[in-house]
Amino acid sequence: MKSLFSIPILLTLAVVLAGCNSNISEKSADDVQTIRLGAAVSETGKFAREGKDTRQGYNLWRDWVNEEYGGIKVGDRRYQVEIVYYDDEGKPDTTARLVEKLITEDKVNFLLAPYSSGLTKSASAISEKYGAIMVSGGAAADSLFTRGFKNLFSISPPASNYTESTLKALSEAGAKTVVIAYEDTPFPTNVAEGAKKWAQKYGMKLLATESYPKDVADVSAIMSKFKALNPDVFVGGGHFNDALLFVRSAKELNFNPKAMVITVGPSNPKFVSEIGADANYIFGPTKWERTMKYKGKYFGTTSEYADRYQAKWGEAPPYQAAGATAGALVLHLAIEKAGSLEPDAVRQAMGELNVVTFYGPINFDETGKNTAKPMGSIQIQNGKIQLVAPKDTAVTQNIYPATKWKER
Amino acid sequence: MKLHKNSKKQTEKKSFLKKWGGLILWILLLGFLALYPYTKVSGIQLFSATQVFMLVTLASNWNLIGGMTGYIDFGHTVFFGVGAYMMGILVTQAPLAFAPRLSFWQALPIAGLVALLLAVSLGWVTLRLKGSYFSIAMLGTFAATREIVRILRPLTGGGAGLDLPPVLNRLGEYYFMLAVMAIVVSSIWWIRRSDFGLSLLAIREDEIGAEMRGINTTLHKLVALAIAAFFTGITGAFWAWQNTYIDPDVVFLESRTVEMVMTSMLGGLGTVWGPPLGAVVLYSIQNIVWSNLLNYHLLALGILLIFLVLFMPEGILGKLGDRSSISAIRLIQRWQKRR
Repeated sequence: MKSLFSIPILLTLAVVLAGCNSNISEKSADDVQTIRLGAAVSETGKFAREGKDTRQGYNLWRDWVNEEYGGIKVGDRRYQVEIVYYDDEGKPDTTARLVEKLITEDKVNFLLAPYSSGLTKSASAISEKYGAIMVSGGAAADSLFTRGFKNLFSISPPASNYTESTLKALSEAGAKTVVIAYEDTPFPTNVAEGAKKWAQKYGMKLLATESYPKDVADVSAIMSKFKALNPDVFVGGGHFNDALLFVRSAKELNFNPKAMVITVGPSNPKFVSEIGADANYIFGPTKWERTMKYKGKYFGTTSEYADRYQAKWGEAPPYQAAGATAGALVLHLAIEKAGSLEPDAVRQAMGELNVVTFYGPINFDETGKNTAKPMGSIQIQNGKIQLVAPKDTAVTQNIYPATKWKER
Repeated sequence: MKLHKNSKKQTEKKSFLKKWGGLILWILLLGFLALYPYTKVSGIQLFSATQVFMLVTLASNWNLIGGMTGYIDFGHTVFFGVGAYMMGILVTQAPLAFAPRLSFWQALPIAGLVALLLAVSLGWVTLRLKGSYFSIAMLGTFAATREIVRILRPLTGGGAGLDLPPVLNRLGEYYFMLAVMAIVVSSIWWIRRSDFGLSLLAIREDEIGAEMRGINTTLHKLVALAIAAFFTGITGAFWAWQNTYIDPDVVFLESRTVEMVMTSMLGGLGTVWGPPLGAVVLYSIQNIVWSNLLNYHLLALGILLIFLVLFMPEGILGKLGDRSSISAIRLIQRWQKRR
């Protein structure tokens, strides 16, 4: 009996509470001089680290616009920028809800994308439905751009292009055969598919391809199989820990490819400090390095951007942060070019944009991916990360073939 | 004499309310929810409501096998995942050479049926055993299925996943999930009152005793699991459609099972109205905590849940006197008895 009366009371209470909650974020109408951007970026969950870098990248741009630049120019007016942040917890359900909330309740003008290709997939389906423009500084999975979306723009080179410049340089140096190992998740899979394509294009023979599950603890089975094939180039697609596994396992088995190309790991300074001299001669694709020689109208050169970031946040900018700043900057440029806050005008301006920023050249194709920016390639030489490709931004020559493990 | 008559009348009135009160409220609530989109609502309100309906449906299904039958299912998300993948495969891949790609409505019943078949084939073996074997087998199946999905690359897209057509319709989604929730919760209301439901409770309270009374316990448990799996599969299929993208890690998520268990426990394990109540309360708490304590929301939520489990182990309805409720601790203690 008692329970029967409590149910409606509790239900009503819950509905009322949920209702109150949704009305908090109403904005006063005289706040017209502000452009509101929305971003659901991980603060907790598995992308907490990359999410923080992404936020710092966005915030660097926001503070620069508001404090130094004096607001985005739209016609004769200047607009300050406000970013509404939520934590997507790394979950697609939450991302979807928050993006929907940003569009329908917070009434943001434009969206900045979450970190990771998977979450961007959930988020972009919603922004597409509402016709809201979303800019990403890092999403690279090729499948993001094959869905016919008109409102998603990513400044990152697609994952399939990651190994292009490296494989091109290696083929010029005389490499003839390739093997590929990759983690079976969206991004490495795209990297591997791209590597197959580029190897073929640059006249190298593909000897074997192997995939391994996420969070693998041992790759020695794959590596001993590869050792028997004696390839010139080893391509490894995965995340940071996989990069360490590849190197340790190859050394243990005395598997000596003439070049090792590994994603994610080598471009991170932690890689060298983890494995020391064994890291030498290893190649890694990179989206962005502070030694790249790009210069944009805003934020100056690549290294000037890096100094600014260092001064503001007290740490060196990882490429995720640089991408985030550049993504927001691209939106800024498109708004100024369009001279309007109307999504249709800005979308068109985005499509026509052809600029060089501190992050590199930016020019979107009709699917929204940035076709202008080449991937860079680094090689670790004497314990230092050195940019070796593409040629116009390289700081030094690559070394090929690598010496054997014993001699490093 | 007069007094006696009076009290009899009162008991009659009491039993009428007890029998039908919940259902009447439920129908009123459904009526209100059916009209809700006609008030001025935004997309996010419809979407949030849809997510609550989904949580209610999932938790109610879990509660049927976990709360009413007393078989704790640690891998119930496997049915969700199988449903989601059937939807993904059927609408994007056209796996059968002679059949074209299916539409949402064509793929939906197949997704539910495949989840049901999986439940029957699993339950056929594991539900004959008493004790914790079922729980462990389900957990294992859950983890194994995720890996199988990864390996079946040509069909499932492997780790790269599948992209579904991005057709979003918040109003349609709202009504769809409202209907599924209405069917599931109403069926469970009916089950709770039927002989079948009483047999399930008998199995939970004393399985050997139930068997002695002539209840075919394996069949009862199997049917309960099959019903739960079917609707969980349907919900999974819908989720895949709504999220427009699936891969093994976003579909086979451990936290989904945890959410189902948590919702049922919060409302009251084994009760009809516990999971709906639990879902609304949990979702409201999550929303309030999440919008006010951005940095610490998971911590705050965790503390709240520990508090609830420690001081309200039989859930809100159990605390309020619903006698079909049971605490999780008592359920686990039964494992020893069943041996």
